[in-house]
Amino acid sequence: MSSQGGWGSSKEFLDLVKSIGEANSQAEEERLVASEIEMLKRRNVEPDLPHKKMEEYIIRLVYIEMLGHDASFGYIQAVKMTHDDNLLLKRSGYLAVTLFLNKDYDLIILIVNTIQKDLKSDNYLVCCAALTAVCKLLNEETIPAVLPQVVELLTHPKELVRNKAVMALHRFHQRAPSTGSQLILCDKDPSVMSAAVCALFDPVTADAQGYKNFTTSFVSILKQVAEHQLPNLYDYHQTPAPFNQCVLAEILKRSDANSNIGNAILYECICIITTIHVSPRLLEVATEITSRFVKSENHN
Amino acid sequence: MTIRFVLLVNKQGQTRLAQYYEYLTIDERRALEGEIVRKCLARSENQCSFVEHRNYKIIYRRYASLFFLVGVDGEENELAILEFIHCVVETMDRYFGNVCELDIMFHLEKAHFMLEEMVMNGCIVETNKVNILAPIQLMDKSS
Repeated sequence: MSSQGGWGSSKEFLDLVKSIGEANSQAEEERLVASEIEMLKRRNVEPDLPHKKMEEYIIRLVYIEMLGHDASFGYIQAVKMTHDDNLLLKRSGYLAVTLFLNKDYDLIILIVNTIQKDLKSDNYLVCCAALTAVCKLLNEETIPAVLPQVVELLTHPKELVRNKAVMALHRFHQRAPSTGSQLILCDKDPSVMSAAVCALFDPVTADAQGYKNFTTSFVSILKQVAEHQLPNLYDYHQTPAPFNQCVLAEILKRSDANSNIGNAILYECICIITTIHVSPRLLEVATEITSRFVKSENHN
Repeated sequence: MTIRFVLLVNKQGQTRLAQYYEYLTIDERRALEGEIVRKCLARSENQCSFVEHRNYKIIYRRYASLFFLVGVDGEENELAILEFIHCVVETMDRYFGNVCELDIMFHLEKAHFMLEEMVMNGCIVETNKVNILAPIQLMDKSS
């Protein structure tokens, strides 16, 4: 992909990006941004901008906010763009909205309607865009409006949608603990499974007793991952709640100490082992590994 | 157990990408970014990549002219985050082909979309590059 600027980027945007990149001092950058803000404000009041222009306009607003200047005059334009039918524009609109607003803004109300419509869409990419926005934007008042739709999406044929629906429920649980949620831990797709593991981490740490029956599922998942039964594409894994000492010992034996991710797993295991009551044999293995770490030349 | 923010900053301290998983006002963000960047830029090659700042742990990694900074809360596994940063870079590399700072600047929204696919609610949910890039590539094709 060329770095001369994407399709549809106007010359102005390219110039802006280049000149900000080349700005030598804070003052120069401020001056550039101020003139950009002036121009965007003027554009803001123009009716009927073509949609591609609108997208670029929104990205420029994101840019300005990233550099630390307020761009609140343009938030409403971002909200309008989420209504667009073109997927890229819609998604850019959602992105801008999640970057600009947080759950306390009143503009969220305007978005909830669009989100509800998009969650029902036939195009699964649109559902995903809406679910991603749901994770970032909703609070206790607005959650009930979308909850039934999200629960329904848990059984969507596409695994990407299920994945995001699980994370949306996780978010709801964080915001409003009274939302009951049933999660599908043993979904056949590994990314949904790992999302569910993530999502379950919080409720499980809060109430370990109630989740005892999940132990066997956790153990089998961990075994699967540790024995490289997942396709090669998945080379990162996380250890869930500390229920399973014997499986941890297997991982300790198998991890290759030269790979960084192997080290990450070992580190996690050691942390877990030091916090729970373990058998002496495991302790021996743990101390051996720790000394390996300390002697290692890698400064991390 | 969560990521609080992801920042890409260049050697001059200019922010190229900022994704926050908890809300901070513009002024707070500016202050935070300035302080962290100064800390990281001042560190030498031999010092470890983990810094503590206020109540966050910052894990950073430098790639050519860009610093990738991830801020996490107390209990996250630093080594895993280090690898996550590399995963992000590899994914961007795969999408842009030999990614450089300019690619990210000119296609800011695509970089954000990639990060959105990988991190939700501050948790790492996807590291499979095929899965991450598929929706973005589909979107490119349909536009």
